[in-house]
Amino acid sequence: MKKRQFFNLLYSVFLLIILSSPAYPESLEKGIESKTSFKRIISLGPSITEQIYLLGAEDKLVGCTIYCKRPKEAEGKEKVGTAVEVNLEKIVNLKPDLILATSLTPPKAIDKLENLGIEVVIFSSPRNFNEICEQFLRLAALVGKKEEAEKVIKEVKAEAYEIKQRVRDLSKPKVLVQVGTKPLWVATKDSFINDFIEFAGGQNLGPAGSGIYSRERVLKQNPDVIIITTMGIVGENEKKLWQRYRAINAVKNNRIYIIDSYKLCSPTPVSFIQTLEELAGILHFDSEE
Amino acid sequence: MKTRLIRWITWVAILTGIFLSISIFSLIIGTSDIPFRKIISVIFAGRGTTEYSILFDIRLPRIILAFAIGGALSLAGVILQGMFRNPLVEPYTLGISGGAALGVCLNIVFHLHRIFGVLTLPMSGFLGAILVIILVYSLSRRKGILKIQGLLLTGVMISFISSSLIMLIMAVSRTEDLHGIVFWIMGSLEEPNWVLIKLAVGVSVFGLVVSYLFCLDLNALSLGEEEALHLGVNIEKTKRLLFIIASLVTGCSVSIAGIIGFVGLVVPHFVRMFIGSDHRILLISSFLCGAAFLILCDTLARTIISPLELPVGVITGILGGSLFVYALIRKQIVLGEK
Amino acid sequence: MLEIRGLFCGYDSRIILQDINISVEDRELLGIIGPNGSGKTTLLRAITRVIKPGAGVVFLEGRDIWQMGFKELAKKVAVVPQDLIANLMSVEEFVLLGRIPHYRKFQFLETNKDKEIAQKALKLTDTFKLRGRSILEISGGERQLVLIARALTQEPRLLLLDEPTTHLDITHQVRILDLIKRLNKETGLTAIMVLHDLNLASEYCQRLVLLNEGKIHRVGNPSDVLDYKIIEEVYRTVVVVQRNPISSRPYIFIVSEEERKRRQSL
Repeated sequence: MKKRQFFNLLYSVFLLIILSSPAYPESLEKGIESKTSFKRIISLGPSITEQIYLLGAEDKLVGCTIYCKRPKEAEGKEKVGTAVEVNLEKIVNLKPDLILATSLTPPKAIDKLENLGIEVVIFSSPRNFNEICEQFLRLAALVGKKEEAEKVIKEVKAEAYEIKQRVRDLSKPKVLVQVGTKPLWVATKDSFINDFIEFAGGQNLGPAGSGIYSRERVLKQNPDVIIITTMGIVGENEKKLWQRYRAINAVKNNRIYIIDSYKLCSPTPVSFIQTLEELAGILHFDSEE
Repeated sequence: MKTRLIRWITWVAILTGIFLSISIFSLIIGTSDIPFRKIISVIFAGRGTTEYSILFDIRLPRIILAFAIGGALSLAGVILQGMFRNPLVEPYTLGISGGAALGVCLNIVFHLHRIFGVLTLPMSGFLGAILVIILVYSLSRRKGILKIQGLLLTGVMISFISSSLIMLIMAVSRTEDLHGIVFWIMGSLEEPNWVLIKLAVGVSVFGLVVSYLFCLDLNALSLGEEEALHLGVNIEKTKRLLFIIASLVTGCSVSIAGIIGFVGLVVPHFVRMFIGSDHRILLISSFLCGAAFLILCDTLARTIISPLELPVGVITGILGGSLFVYALIRKQIVLGEK
Repeated sequence: MLEIRGLFCGYDSRIILQDINISVEDRELLGIIGPNGSGKTTLLRAITRVIKPGAGVVFLEGRDIWQMGFKELAKKVAVVPQDLIANLMSVEEFVLLGRIPHYRKFQFLETNKDKEIAQKALKLTDTFKLRGRSILEISGGERQLVLIARALTQEPRLLLLDEPTTHLDITHQVRILDLIKRLNKETGLTAIMVLHDLNLASEYCQRLVLLNEGKIHRVGNPSDVLDYKIIEEVYRTVVVVQRNPISSRPYIFIVSEEERKRRQSL
């Protein structure tokens, strides 16, 4: 039948077109870690930007996201988008040789950049303090500030140890850290916030796995301390909301605190220690002299 | 009517002209505008300059993909509106987008794309789309007859179910996965893989060519199924094949580019306002118009609040919706009613 | 021309038509009459392959219609429906749709021959002057004529009309039926009409088939079928049948309740 032959021809032409192009190779992260000669770096995450400034490598930074506001100097850098949406043209115009992405960066953009011949290194969200330090060191290697970083990490680890020792024998209050409202979202045992709590001598009531929580469960678990990391009016509203449940220890003893989400949710090794101090103070104010 | 043929050819020429102008406009405009004369010199200079990279690695792939997806969705819209004789039908009404979104969601949440590579995302989207297509089709068949009303209702229900399931997945997923899902759903014409872009173009154009085999049948179907039968159309075979063409083209588009709404709904109506309902001209006109429309929307999406980018679905919704309302007010949209 | 033997058909589980046997000769003008729900439309649908019969055969010019191709059947049989649904298009474009069965394999546009046939049909139905107007703007009577024009462009051997005069004023009723009669006489077109109005059926049809509850009640010429006893049995209403003074065909007078009461008291 003429129609069938026509279709067969179409199919074959079609398949030929599709299969006639080479597949793009996946990029290998490990190979480029040994390079340290990057001169034009773009950061796609506020925490990474902060760390670059910490390392003193900001002269190599040619672009960052509009949310990179710490330190203040970062606001002067060229903006290439948000943490979740990047403007490829802007990036290409800045002629970078290294892009530091996070797990929020769209994978398609990463692929596109790699196809354009630009190195991309992905820093996924750290799950504990050690990973925070590791990533810092990895970053330092890429910007050629290995020695400075090692010094910082050494200091930071020592301070962390010191704080841990300080609170070791104190009673461990039960802590719940709320990171989201509507729905209620708490810090899980797999996040680095868990380390925050434990290093500061507390007990994280958060679950493993998904952080969605019910207020009922909170009532049952009866935390001694509730920490809210959503800012502004929302934070205040949440605090008032908790204060209605007078049966919770934290409400009874007025131990609901609001902490800046920058401090608690995207820490650098140094800011980690600062926040840790603050947290230790909050959790054990009654036993501080 | 020789004059009608001339009129049709003129229309196609005009639409092609519009399409080409918008494409060139899109090539020129961006975070750094590259004037037309410069484009020519950049092409001759060859690979190496930033401008070349921007033109050919960033803008051109988007334009080509927008051509394919815009054309495909508009084509599917015309076919389905013709089949269902319902002005509100669009490619996503049948639940195909829901199935594709669900497939991609599951892939993201189970991290399959990290294990098996990024190409699995559109594949799982397509798989989800196919499953929904098969489900909707088999649920609407009674004794070998494809019930049009059944298709519509089943499709809408499956759409709702998929949305709820997706929300469920989003509720229990981790933040990073959540972002991935949300941004996929919002639709994006950014595609690094040339194989997928070529696939999109191939499937769209293939769909257009094949649908032309049914252009007369579609004209007959606009009178109603019984009437079309009286005119000698094999309606069961025609319905089945048209459904398959529209679904495949939609499934492919949604898998590659995410959910870009309104194109399939608005463009056919808009084109009908100017050209009429004869499918012989409507199919290619909607294809070209849809392609041009999507390229325009995508260009706006990436330039309006530079350096930030809006999801292209936002622009198609606002622009498409406004155009639709305008069309309703100025020239009454007529389809099927006396 | 058309032969129906032992036809049983219906929808889903309900059988509507039972044991229908009809023979239609070439050049005949046949009327199908019967009360609501008697299966008239179902019969038309069975002849045009819209529904598949549970049992029985339909032969068109000696061939089983279910053995024919779709287009082949459409070239022989054209249907004039009761009304139309259509998109925005001109009358001429609408009528040209009737040429679809005649399009060759990859034919895309109408040939000159197609256009000529369409124009001839428009002239025959006296709607040529409407050809540029939008199909949605014309009146009910004109629409019916255009539907007939479209059916004629199919160049059928058999024309089926489903209640062509319902909803129309007497001007158009007469115009349309005169047209069918004329076509039947002059061009030899065989026509089967489903009619509601018994008097119109009596006036214009050569032969009548009276259906009742899915079965054939009576077949014959109008004088045989339109007997007052038969009508009262089938339609369950009192009537008086007399001769039409002009054409000598049977004419049915309804008897209203008031009249019945008056007669009873006499």
